[in-house]
Order: sequence, then structure tokens, then C-alpha cells
Amino acid sequence: MTQEMEFKTIVAQYCEVKPEDMTNEMRFREDLGFSSLDFMSFLGELEDTFDVELEEEDALQILTIGEALDMLQTL
Amino acid sequence: MLIRDILEESEKKYADIPAVKWLKKKEMQQRTYGELMQNVAAVRKGLLANGFQKKHVALLGNSSAEWMESYLGVITGSTVAVPLDAGLPAEDLTDLINRSDAEALFLSPKKKSLLDTILAECPKLQKVWLLQEEPVEEEDEKVSSYAELKTIGSNNENDEKSPEEEDIATIIFTSGTTGKSKGVMLTQKNLAENVLSVDFVTNPGSIVLSVLPIHHAYCLVMDWLKGFSLGVTVCINDSLLHMVRNMGIFKPDIMLMVPMMIETIYKRLSAADPAIPKQILAEKVFGGNLKIIFTGGAHLDSFYIDEFAQYGIDVLEGYGMSECSPVISSNTQANHKTGSIGRPLSNVEISFEDGEILVRGSSVMKGYYKMPEETKETLKDGWLHTGDKGYQDEDGYLFINGRVKNLIILSNGENISPEEIENKLALGELVGEVIVTGENNGLTARIYPDQEIVQAKGMEPEMVQEKLQEFLDAYNKTQPTYRQITGLVVRKNPFIRSSTKKIKRQEALIDEPYDI
Repeated sequence: MTQEMEFKTIVAQYCEVKPEDMTNEMRFREDLGFSSLDFMSFLGELEDTFDVELEEEDALQILTIGEALDMLQTL
Repeated sequence: MLIRDILEESEKKYADIPAVKWLKKKEMQQRTYGELMQNVAAVRKGLLANGFQKKHVALLGNSSAEWMESYLGVITGSTVAVPLDAGLPAEDLTDLINRSDAEALFLSPKKKSLLDTILAECPKLQKVWLLQEEPVEEEDEKVSSYAELKTIGSNNENDEKSPEEEDIATIIFTSGTTGKSKGVMLTQKNLAENVLSVDFVTNPGSIVLSVLPIHHAYCLVMDWLKGFSLGVTVCINDSLLHMVRNMGIFKPDIMLMVPMMIETIYKRLSAADPAIPKQILAEKVFGGNLKIIFTGGAHLDSFYIDEFAQYGIDVLEGYGMSECSPVISSNTQANHKTGSIGRPLSNVEISFEDGEILVRGSSVMKGYYKMPEETKETLKDGWLHTGDKGYQDEDGYLFINGRVKNLIILSNGENISPEEIENKLALGELVGEVIVTGENNGLTARIYPDQEIVQAKGMEPEMVQEKLQEFLDAYNKTQPTYRQITGLVVRKNPFIRSSTKKIKRQEALIDEPYDI
């Protein structure tokens, strides 16, 4: 599985949208219906899955799938 | 009985048991009850040596052993503790420090960037202690470290006398329906009675993982003070990002959660491969020892109670508010009824007025700090008007079925005053009228654009929507997550108003579609 697909599979745990239907412009809270805590739990799962450490304050500013993927690629 | 008596009893009984555990750069740290109480006494004596008897002292930071030792150092003497929400913007924090008449502040090093603003905007503050062991670099003589305060305290032969039961121990800020947060004054007796009246016992050394914000009454009194009364080890969750990871590390027996946490964990459980046996999954997600989750602060769908039972976990719903120190009623393992919020505590009397739940008892607050009008509206003849509608069944279990006051309660347990947010959003250039509603577990701003601006700039509906979303994104960046706006509805028509020209909130959702 590619990193992007693995990432989208994690996103799909928290919402009704299938990985293949996700676009980079989709917003976690507004379009995918994440609660504030879903989003934090999701970030924690990214850390554990991809073995990275996120800067919490910066990570919480992320709004869209595209922004989150960009962040993952820079780590 | 005072909190100080309860803690001193625990110090004697559980001296060598860890009272607090936490992770520092992935290494496990701990304080035993003996060590914790030594630091509590040092802080208390340090405050006395610095002349802070009877003064108000604010605390600002996330959960830490140092935060808790400082808090207990304050409330076991004559000083009044004012815990603040570390997620609030600087302007709100300085307002609360000033309105609470705090003369000193304990500040987490992570929040040090606020120091200059706080010192400039809060002239009553005489002292700021950074919650760190290292010496401070600041040249300002008002600023020193928690370690220095403890050293002064340890060298002070004099100790504070125990406070009186009716003395104010703490002021906890809560959302106000008028848009201004209110400082709930809780006495020494209020706190101690709540700790003693919650019907729960566990073995000393049981593990509690504390995941709620420490400035909340529910976390402060139930995770920490109640926990300490039983000799449990309170483990600190360093971040909500790591809640599931930390359950695996600390392997808690008991946790306090708000409903949103239960909902989020359930999503992870239900996404797992159904072939994995539930016991294995419970071990992976909850650490393997979790047996009880106490929950309160908002309504929890009973669906989750049944689901979690399949993983061997009892979810016990309770009910409370800061004004009641905070627990009013709770289900217990022995006495519970799904859908109810449990039976009232032994120190609580319940009554009803037009369906509204009224509470009287030894944990009911003394009043709101410097807000006599609001106090008079809420406390009438000793009865606290909760703002919640409910009923009691023939077995004495309480049920909630609505709200009287205009507060939005999200499933993360945060009580949001819509007016407080509307006042801020109304400052937007393009915002003509705005109403904030709680929808889909988040906040939605319903905005009627300022027509003068729209026409003067010749803005198309699409552009109006885009500009308003940009405005909300900018607002969200300045706010803690629970006060962020996650939905925007642009209105085609102004809001419906009453004969007194007030917007009719209950009709705020009525409008024609906005054409884009």
C-alpha cells in the first residue's frame, strides 16, 4: 500500500467517505465530519503508523487532506 | 473535614505508593504520596513566606505534577486557587486574571510566550512562578521558578494554619449565558464533601489515566482529589493525540471521559478487523486493565454503554456542574440504570421547578465571584438552578430531557455560550447578524451578511461565502478547538426578531436557501 493510501485508510476510520473518493481539498472538520477529538486521535494514529513525531500546535492548524499529506511528506 | 485532612490521611496511609506518573521524553517519571505532600507543604510555606495568605493565585498550564503540587499548596493554606484554561487566547486570560483579582501566577514553561503580555496587562500580579526546576532567565524580579518557591518554603519553619470550612478554596471559570464567563466560588467544604460523597472505592495503587483538562472541575476534583483520597496513581496523558497510545503504556484501571472521547474510541474499535477477538482488541486499544469509564459533562447515547460492555468495560454516566463542585449524581457499578445520570449523591437534595432541576447541599457553590446579580439568578433560597430540565423516576434515578438556559453543550463536555462567540464574530466587516448554534457535534455560525458592504463592493454570493469562510478560518486560528466554528451557513434573509427586536434563537434555522 502506498503511503497516501495507508493515510486515507486511517482517515476513513473516522468518516463515511471511502479512501478512493477523497480529494486533497476536503476539509477534515467541515467536509468529513471529524470532531475535534477525532482529529487529534487521527494525528496520534499517523504518528504511530508512520513512526513520526508531529509538532502538535502546527498539526492542529491543518484543515485539508492535502495539507496533511504535505506535512507527512516533509517529515 | 478539609481537602488538607484528606491528603494528610493519604500521605500517612500510602506514603510509598506512586501518586502521580508521567512521561518525560518517553521516560517514566513518578512522585510518591510522600514526595508529593512534601512539595505541597513546601509550596504552601513558600506562599506564606512571600506574604500571599488569603490572596488569589492563578494557575495556567496543562496537567503536570508541578501544577497539581502548586494547586494543592494553595488550597491547603488560606490562599485561593484560580485554575485557568491554558487554551484560551491571551486577551481572555489576562481578563480572567484581572477579574479574579489574582496577585500571583503559576505558569507552565510551555506557555512562557504569554509572560510579557500577562505582566504588561495584569498590574495586580506581584509574582509569577514558572513551573520548572531550572532557574529562570528572566531579569524581571517578579519572575522566578517553582523550585525557588519550594526552597523558600522548605526553609520556612512556619506553616499555614488549616483553613476554615467556609473559606473559599478555589474559583473556577465557567461559561456564562450573558457572554461573560463567571467565576464559581467553591469553599473548602464544597470540595471535600464532593470528594467524600461520590460513592466509589478502589484499591490503593489502582491506575487512573487523566485525559481531561486539569482546569475543569470534573478532572480536578474527581481524577485528582478523589483519586488521592483513595490512594490511586494518577497518570498524566501528555496530549489528546496520544490518548490511545498512553492507555497502552499506563494500562489504566479507571478513566474519566467526556462522551466525545468515548465516541472517538468507538470509531477506532469499529474500524478494526471483525475477526480480531474483542478481548485482544480491548487489550490493544485500552491497555488490557480498563474496567470502568466514568463519563459526564454532556449526553452520551446509551448505544455506547452497550457496545463498551462487550469489551468488559462499564461506562457509568454521571451529572454535574462546576457550581456543584462538580458531581450531583452518578451511576455506580452496584446501582445503575442505562439512560439515566444516576442517583443524587448523599449530600445532595433535588427538587424541580417547572421541570428545571434544582440542587441544594453541601457541595453547592457560595456564588459567582463579584457577580451578585448572576448569583441571585442562579441561587435562590439555597437552591441552585441548574438550567437543565429533567425528572426523577420511582427508583430515584435522575434523567435529563432538555435545557432552560441558552448554553450549547458539546459532547466534549465544553459548555459554550453562543453570545460570547457571536460578540467576537460580529466584529467581522462582512458580518451583519450572526447566531451560533451547536450542530453535528460542533459549532455552526449562521451569518446574514452586511448588505451595505455586499452592495458597495458588488459581491456575488460565492464571493461572500468565500470571504466569510476566510474570516472564520482566521478566527479559528486564535481559539481553542472547542470554540472553533466548523460550519458556516450564509443566510439569505435577516433573522426573525421578536416584538422587542431580539433575534429569536429558536427560529434561527428558518430561512430560504442561499443561492450560490
